Amino acid sequence: MSTYDKEHLQLRPTNRPPRPVNKKMRLKESGGLAAGLMLTPSLIFLCICSIYPFIWIFRYIGYNYNGFVARPVGFANFTRMFSDTTFWNSVVTTFEYAFWKLIIIIPLALIMAVLLNQKLRGSSFFRGAFFMPTVIATSISGMIFTFIFATQNGILNNILQTVGLMGTPINWLMDQGFAMEAVMILSVWAGFGNYMLYFVTGMTSISEDVYESSRIDGANAVQTFFKITLPMLSPVLKVVLMLAITGAFKDYEAIMVLTNGGPGSRTNVMFLYIFKLIFGTADNARMQIGYGALLSLMAAVIVGAVTIIYNLVAKRLDDVV
Amino acid sequence: MKKSFSLLLALVMVLTAFGAVPALADKTVVNYWSNDRHDEVYMSAMIEKFNAAHDDIEIKMTIMTDDFENSILLAYQGGTAPDLVGQSIDVKNFADIGAVVDLRPYIEKDEEYQKVNEPFTHAFEGLNAIGSAIYWVPSGMRSGVRIEYNKALLAASGFDGIPDNLTDYIAMAQKITADGNGATYGIGFTSSSPFERQLEMMAQVSGVFYYDYVNGKFDFSGYKPFLEAGRQLVAVAYPDQQGVDNMRAQFAAGAFALWGNASQEAGVFTNQFPITDFEWGVSPVPSLDGEIKGALQTNPNKGYIMLSSSKNKDAAWEVIKYFQSEEFLKGYLEGGYTMPISSYMDGIIDKTKLGRMADFSLLDYESVYPTVPSINLTGDNYRTVLWNAIMGHVDIDAAIEDLNTRYNQCYDDDIMYGSVQRLVIKDYDPLHPSAGTAEYLNN
Repeated sequence: MSTYDKEHLQLRPTNRPPRPVNKKMRLKESGGLAAGLMLTPSLIFLCICSIYPFIWIFRYIGYNYNGFVARPVGFANFTRMFSDTTFWNSVVTTFEYAFWKLIIIIPLALIMAVLLNQKLRGSSFFRGAFFMPTVIATSISGMIFTFIFATQNGILNNILQTVGLMGTPINWLMDQGFAMEAVMILSVWAGFGNYMLYFVTGMTSISEDVYESSRIDGANAVQTFFKITLPMLSPVLKVVLMLAITGAFKDYEAIMVLTNGGPGSRTNVMFLYIFKLIFGTADNARMQIGYGALLSLMAAVIVGAVTIIYNLVAKRLDDVV
Repeated sequence: MKKSFSLLLALVMVLTAFGAVPALADKTVVNYWSNDRHDEVYMSAMIEKFNAAHDDIEIKMTIMTDDFENSILLAYQGGTAPDLVGQSIDVKNFADIGAVVDLRPYIEKDEEYQKVNEPFTHAFEGLNAIGSAIYWVPSGMRSGVRIEYNKALLAASGFDGIPDNLTDYIAMAQKITADGNGATYGIGFTSSSPFERQLEMMAQVSGVFYYDYVNGKFDFSGYKPFLEAGRQLVAVAYPDQQGVDNMRAQFAAGAFALWGNASQEAGVFTNQFPITDFEWGVSPVPSLDGEIKGALQTNPNKGYIMLSSSKNKDAAWEVIKYFQSEEFLKGYLEGGYTMPISSYMDGIIDKTKLGRMADFSLLDYESVYPTVPSINLTGDNYRTVLWNAIMGHVDIDAAIEDLNTRYNQCYDDDIMYGSVQRLVIKDYDPLHPSAGTAEYLNN
């Protein structure tokens, strides 16, 4: 024992009760004060930009409010909501859209991430190229794809006809049989680069030693992917899936530019309908902030419920695996 | 040197802060917000002229084309609203919260203004006037919808003009498409409110309107033959329905022969997408059977609204008087920025300067419809539903029944909750829709 330790042992009272720790001091010692101070600006902005607007809009759910005058209507908006077939159809459309988007975008992003993680020549270029759509404004992407999907002289139809995959041009945006596919192509193109980057980042955190061991043990590429990469990527995969689910349920901007919910109501997702209600349309239908707020709340409940179900399923799978 | 400059700068700042700069301090600034971009050059030049000639008032114009009404509302509620705004807002909403000033007292004192603008003749219930109050006076108007057509494509199929009835109009579109062999088409539609741009206006001149003014309810039943006609037209139309500008560009490129839109197309096809490869004509829209049984809707425009928050109301009125003076309006109308609405201005402008705008001159059956009550509608609006019926996405009878039920149910609910009043015009005349006496009922 060093001299220093001896001295301190002698000085330390052994039979006295522990000194009451001052709360302020504990906070200071644990770094809580600094953390609190650093969190304050974010909390203020969260309150101003997120919580306050939510409460502000929530108080109008029992009103007819056009931005000028709010008139109380009791539970009439609730009655309207339950009999609003356009809204419930849009909910069904949203589920369909989200299902197909997730089925396509997640495996695609994962496959591309695995391929681009092979440190092959040009992989940095493709990583940048695939991520590029994420930084393009949604409205611009929508406009670009309007031209791509044009029936007459549209690039996509021209390519498909040139390679002999079809005879007559497809009316992508006006045919109810193809509009959802067109919207899906745009949303996958715009979003998969982002998820791909998450996966690539997740893969870089997997130790090279693990891969080396698997190679020594004679594992092939497929076995390595399913036995090493996928299990070790599962924390990232879970987060990405949750982000993708909530994102897919909230998509509407690109759809608004590309099809505006049509043809008919084929691509009319719930947040597009809510947007039109809250901000009004030019055709003698006024801004409906109160009713729109109620539908927003219902939409939030739906998205929240889906996310909770996903988390429960993910947890169960964790326990099983 | 640097120190002297800093001192000078500080002095200027102090003087400015205390209002010691004479040129600014003595002038009353009238702020004007407009959402018109097309007339910016003329407006700016005339404002500059006014500011140079006046020591007491200075006009400051701000143009904002996006979210105009909402921006004004937010500024009004936040205490930063301008003195004057352009007329492109729903006056009734602003009147409900007392945000707009009744101009009648100012107008009644000014005979020159009355002579040039004929404000009492152009007071339209619900649009620029509510009861006896007049909130803005139009300087001009946008014409109702016309058919713009490609003369070369018509001639190639043996036509020299637009027929006056829908049956022949459909036959014309079908023949031009057939003759075009997939390269050119008879007619084109946009994805942006396509029903409004042709078929709804053909219904109007045939005496069909979606609001039954006499009984005070919505009625879409009369649209059935127009929806059936629409299906025939869509079947031979240019295959894509894109945004308005995209379709204008296609028309200008000669991709299809028939296009429907109002007088703004005069500027579009001479400046924005100038047509040089063929001659284009302008014609009234055909009616169902060739007979005109209803007025074609026209839109009064270029008015100025004074906000009640203005601290310089008298100065603001002086600015309105200037914007609607004979000198100002002559240049504005001859520049083709809008079409004359007052008979006085119509009589004194040099129409040879109007260019293609002259083709859109007012028809004797064009008029302003009383503003239909704006309701809290559940589901899609009538233009969307009717176009869906034309495209075959819903059955025509089912679409009409759905609209009749839904619109009237929402209307009744809104009346019950006090959001709106029932508009009834017992002496309504479809050929003179603004001539009747409006009544607002609470049941």
